[in-house]
Amino acid sequence: MLTIQGLKAGVAGRDILQGLDLEVKAGEVHAIMGPNGSGKSTLAGVLAGRETYTVAGGKVTFEGEDLLALAPEKRAARGIFLAFQYPVEIPGVGNLYFLRTAFNALRKARGEEELDAMDFLAFARERMKLVKMDPALANRSVNEGFSGGEKKRNEILQMAVLEPKLAILDEVDSGLDIDALRAVADGVNALRAPERAMLVVTHYQRLLEYIRPDHVHVMVGGRIVTSGGPELALELEKRGYGWIEKEPSPRHVAWEARP
Amino acid sequence: MTPAERSFAEQLERTAGVEWRPAGEPNFVCTLRAQGREAFLRAKLPTPKHEDWRYTSLAALAAQPFAPAPRARAWAGSTRELPAAPRLVFVNGRLDPDATDLTRLPAGVRMGSLGTALRERPAAVQPHLGQVAAPGAHAFTALNAGLFEDGAVVEIEDGVSCAPTLHLVFLDSGACVAAHPRNLILAGRHARAAIVESYRGEGSYLVNAVTELSLGEGAHVEHDRLQEDAPHAFHVGVVQVAQAARSSFTGQSIALGGELARVEARVLLGGEGATCDLHGLYVATGKQVLDHLVYVDHASPRCVSREVFKGVLDGASRGVFAGRVHVREGARKTDASQVNSNLLLSEDATVDTKPQLEILNDDVKCSHGGTVGQIREDQLFYLRSRGLSEALARAMLTWAFASEMVRMVGPEEARARVQRAVTARLPHGALLRHDSLLSEPALGGLWGSGARSPQAEVERSSTGSDLGSPEPAAASTRNGEGAPTEVA
Repeated sequence: MLTIQGLKAGVAGRDILQGLDLEVKAGEVHAIMGPNGSGKSTLAGVLAGRETYTVAGGKVTFEGEDLLALAPEKRAARGIFLAFQYPVEIPGVGNLYFLRTAFNALRKARGEEELDAMDFLAFARERMKLVKMDPALANRSVNEGFSGGEKKRNEILQMAVLEPKLAILDEVDSGLDIDALRAVADGVNALRAPERAMLVVTHYQRLLEYIRPDHVHVMVGGRIVTSGGPELALELEKRGYGWIEKEPSPRHVAWEARP
Repeated sequence: MTPAERSFAEQLERTAGVEWRPAGEPNFVCTLRAQGREAFLRAKLPTPKHEDWRYTSLAALAAQPFAPAPRARAWAGSTRELPAAPRLVFVNGRLDPDATDLTRLPAGVRMGSLGTALRERPAAVQPHLGQVAAPGAHAFTALNAGLFEDGAVVEIEDGVSCAPTLHLVFLDSGACVAAHPRNLILAGRHARAAIVESYRGEGSYLVNAVTELSLGEGAHVEHDRLQEDAPHAFHVGVVQVAQAARSSFTGQSIALGGELARVEARVLLGGEGATCDLHGLYVATGKQVLDHLVYVDHASPRCVSREVFKGVLDGASRGVFAGRVHVREGARKTDASQVNSNLLLSEDATVDTKPQLEILNDDVKCSHGGTVGQIREDQLFYLRSRGLSEALARAMLTWAFASEMVRMVGPEEARARVQRAVTARLPHGALLRHDSLLSEPALGGLWGSGARSPQAEVERSSTGSDLGSPEPAAASTRNGEGAPTEVA
């Protein structure tokens, strides 16, 4: 589904991704772990098409298509979804209005029929139950005044409504208490499907107790330095990242840009 | 003298002659006209040297002569979208009886033409006309006093609550012609009313309108002003308000049309405990100049004034906002605030914002702030990452910024009209779905929560809260992507 080869990217003249390779197949859940500044969020941003990152080299294909040539909205239409580490507040834009506009924009881009307000409402209500979101949040402005947990849940709601092929979850666990974390993970797990792949970016192994990955990759210095099964995450939990950083050739830890 | 001044001077001189005097015009009007004539001939059109006109040049207006707007009837295109009755329609500054419709006018509310009132009931007009807006203070008000032919008179009796919205419609057309409508709105003690004044037209005319409002004790008046003049029109409008004790006034100015448009709201808080909310939205593109001057005179204790003005500026347009709050010595417990926020959509658009506070006693709470910003990259990316095209995402963010002011328009019909007019002027506004822009009524109903979305945020560059900062605020460009940290 997704093939990344030798991806190099940076922001404002700093090189962050230094030749990254990754292969994700439909139905798989991949966890990307790594210390602060290893380039995890940059990878997420580059895949979603954030223009503040400059791609310096490498190739990314998504279902055979050159992903890097596409505008962010085109990537969304192809089925890419990024759950933001820091969901953006958009005062003045109603949450549900936004969701319906996005939903219909994707449908239109795929040549499907748009849903009218009532049909969409029924669908959105069902999805809100799935992620256990307070219905009152639907009428508020996008993320405005939401708590950290509500913001993350709102990301998962959007994912549940937009039904992507590839979901990239950028630190969905950051800033969450255990109940919120469980709710978010339940939402994510409910959306696991044979045709859907997930890329779970996280610093901590904790999230992976709730979202069980098929593959775990460790990023250091803008590259994947080691890969394995779920047991790799446990080892990281026990030993930290230090041993990995030392084992392959030592390199500078690049600063990572915050989206 | 400039060509415009010469043409106005000639017309003013003619009004001095007995032969010009409209049949039955009472003596006090002659006195008012004489005061206006003298004041205009003395002051003439203001230049950028005039403090109140520093940021808005009248050179284009001054360069052409203006003839009196000819008698005309409302044209077919203009009557198609007339608001519901009760309404007064003025064409080129004179009442059009055919387009006017006064059905549904409730008891205790009187509405009609100023010309008729001066002929038939001068005693009702005399104590007020030219008293709220004295002709000496302002060149355009003076010109209006000298040259007005007609306008609206609205009277709401003491204790009367007027349910229907009262519409005053001003249609203008022609090239190099000027109309000077003069309106008088009198709200009695504890009277309530909502009045919508709207301006539209075709051609390159000047409309120079003066509206005097007098609010009796405890009166509540909402006055919405919708300016959708023709692209090459000049518009000058003065709304002068005198408020008695515990009265409350809500004034909104939606400025969309015209090549150069200046709207002034001047409010005298003349009685204890009076409050005024002054709102404005200007949406400009091309080479438009949309200018607001707001002057609030806190002359009594315990009065409250709130000003919120927002601008959306595209192309090479200019927005100007000057807000002056004057707190007099005896006006203890004054509470005044002022906010002016601007969204610049292009590199060439500019805005000048100038808050001024003049405070002559210690017992006050005053604040002001302003922002000039652009569409935020992080918000734009967030929307695009969900599948919205860049054009739609920009339109949505721009509307989110402007819609706060549209929501404040009280009468539903006027609000819907303003929404259509504003979205039609936003870049790619046609992409927005009109049905659900201001609210999701179906959803609100089903979920029992009708939360309203407050103001959209642009990047902040507060102008602080110290006394008067006369320098124009600069646009702040933001580097949201600059912070090199990752938080785990």
